[in-house]
Amino acid sequence: MTSDNVKVEPLENNYCKEYKRLRLLQANDQTKELQTILRDKNTTRSDFKFYADRLIRLVIEESLNQLPFTDCKVITPTGATYDGLKYKSGNCGVSIIRSGEAMEQGLRDCCRSIRIGKILVESDFETHDARVVYARFPEDIAQRNVLLMYPIMSTGNTVSQSVNVLKEHGVKEECIILSNLFCTPAAVETICTSYPKLQILTSEIHPVAPNHFGQKYFGTD
Amino acid sequence: MAAKINIFDPPSSASSESDDGIDVGAEYLEILPDAEIDGDKHGSQKSPKCRRQRTTSLSHQSANKATTESVIRTTHRTIYTAGRPPWYNSEGQKVEPFVIGICGGSASGKTTVAEKIIESLGVTWVTLLSMDSFYRVLNQKQHEESHRNEYNFDHPDAFDFEILIETLKKLKEGRKVDVPIYNFVTHSRESRTKTMYGANVIIFEGILAFYNKEVREMLDMKIFVDTDADVRLARRLRRDISQRGRDLEGVLKQYTSMVQPSFNHYIAPLMVHADIIVPRGGENLVAIQLIVQHVHTQLQLRGLKIREELAQAHAFSGQPLPDTVKLLPTTPQIRGLHTFIRNKATTRDEFIFYSKRLIRLVIEYTLSLMKFNETIVETPQGVLYKGKRMATDKICGVSILRAGETMEQAVCDVCKDIRIGKILIQTNLQTGEPELYYLRLPKDIKDYKVILMDATVATGAAALMAIRVLLDHDVQERNILIVSLLMAESGVHSIAYAFPNVQIVTTAIDPEINEKFYVLPGIGNFGDRYFGTEYS
Repeated sequence: MTSDNVKVEPLENNYCKEYKRLRLLQANDQTKELQTILRDKNTTRSDFKFYADRLIRLVIEESLNQLPFTDCKVITPTGATYDGLKYKSGNCGVSIIRSGEAMEQGLRDCCRSIRIGKILVESDFETHDARVVYARFPEDIAQRNVLLMYPIMSTGNTVSQSVNVLKEHGVKEECIILSNLFCTPAAVETICTSYPKLQILTSEIHPVAPNHFGQKYFGTD
Repeated sequence: MAAKINIFDPPSSASSESDDGIDVGAEYLEILPDAEIDGDKHGSQKSPKCRRQRTTSLSHQSANKATTESVIRTTHRTIYTAGRPPWYNSEGQKVEPFVIGICGGSASGKTTVAEKIIESLGVTWVTLLSMDSFYRVLNQKQHEESHRNEYNFDHPDAFDFEILIETLKKLKEGRKVDVPIYNFVTHSRESRTKTMYGANVIIFEGILAFYNKEVREMLDMKIFVDTDADVRLARRLRRDISQRGRDLEGVLKQYTSMVQPSFNHYIAPLMVHADIIVPRGGENLVAIQLIVQHVHTQLQLRGLKIREELAQAHAFSGQPLPDTVKLLPTTPQIRGLHTFIRNKATTRDEFIFYSKRLIRLVIEYTLSLMKFNETIVETPQGVLYKGKRMATDKICGVSILRAGETMEQAVCDVCKDIRIGKILIQTNLQTGEPELYYLRLPKDIKDYKVILMDATVATGAAALMAIRVLLDHDVQERNILIVSLLMAESGVHSIAYAFPNVQIVTTAIDPEINEKFYVLPGIGNFGDRYFGTEYS
């Protein structure tokens, strides 16, 4: 199964070799189906949202794997010991308005009381220049690991601006994990070169970004 | 032992009516020998259309007393003792049910004898199959004859032996069957059928029960009920006139021209095939006691102890895991989630939350194991996209109650409109054996890929029983995936050994099982912790 995907998209493997901080969601037929449904222009809106939420959940779960943890032992009800692990506290989510907000629920479903900040970036249709117009973060964000959520990256400009804002607020570059569903090779290059210590998790690298995502998810098309 | 003397309504045990709709009738609920159901004493016999429906398993009388006795209440727990113990050995292979044939003239008391046997047998999961269900469908001419009392219902030609043999054969193999429901008013089969499944004892009764050689060979014990001809005529008159609103003349005409000659010609000679002849029918308590004793001996000879055998059989570790085992990659998240749910100090609120997350991951992973086809779709961006689509949309979930039920929500969350079946299997605390109490499966489950869910698998006894039930319903072995959060190594080996084509999906495999059949280090009793029913 996996080998099929490798044959189809050697592109992604190459990128992962080149950029060590870039990770792809473990590809299998199931995730491929989710991507197919989201790409298909005949998908109904309710299906779109349903399958988008599933893919988001998988990406979020995988993103959480990147967070730091320590080993610990617990006693089970049978009296035996289990060698487990414990995640360090001090994480938070930041979503980029508007499509990033689609991923908030997925994060909430995994971490019930996690703090979530927001960034609004306006981009110029003609020049693709992006400009941050609103940002609201937890007070102590400088000490936290940040899960930055944005599902579609085509140029990477929006994410670049958002990362800049986070850095201005004292967040360390290596403490930022970008959760993303679809991105283009151009965006990968832009982000990975500009922010070499930032971690990226995505489910697909493809020359064509499904830019209809936000509109279809929120039903404003 | 309490379990032995309890009888509860059998429809329960074995049968339910299904209309042609999506699901089987609500009657199945009675399989739970719970006191709450005693308002409904008629079991599966509530077909208003049928005048005479005897394809059910127990008498009303015995159903009534059963409900309370099958429950033992201790200070801590309520124990039910009326589930169905394993009907297969530790390799998952089946043991045939015991089939009793009862033959005898019309109104000789066959049904009474059958009911008395069921009652004194005290075994649940008994199916009563009546030859009446297999009358041929009448054509227009025969229909008119029957109106004039000229159609011979007592002649061998009136029965459809082909379907009868097929049904009996399947029941004997322990498979699910759809028994036709014969309508005595229209003399045709109703579109509904009656589903029978899972009997340890089958009683087959009918006037010509011993007529066909193939049928005879399937019977483990043959009983002929021999009642005096005068008594039979008297009963028949009373039944046909007062209960079926027929007139005296018609009944007598039918009796002398057809019933009586048929009896002498076809039925009476069948007595030579009988192992035991019971004079006077249901009143003959001595004969019935002898029969019951014999059946008990036979059942004990076939008795099986599954769970201990399982725990011992494959208890050695170190064997490589079978190929059918699909273990989720142990990522930090998976271990982190396990840390929460395994910790005995975790509160119930957190336990539920983290269990749900883990369940979601295992279900997503399970779906990735399905077969997919390549497909090309058009995108709104105007380019074609090469993707995949699942090869089948026939997927259904079946949860093993109680703990498996906790996984249903996740299946519904990832598969739109998926059908969910349920199987209740509980451990009998006296014998330590798993017992089947309740079962409700989607119609046509044989065509589906089945995601069978149980939160934990220790010895694998419950999982084996559930897989056996699915196979008995003609589900293909390779279409079954047993999915759980945690399995013991020995359970994995037992399942893989018994059913090599069943795929086994889990998030962790623990090495040991303790003497109470809990996995070590384990989670404890998952169901109790999730539902908050643990006691200290």
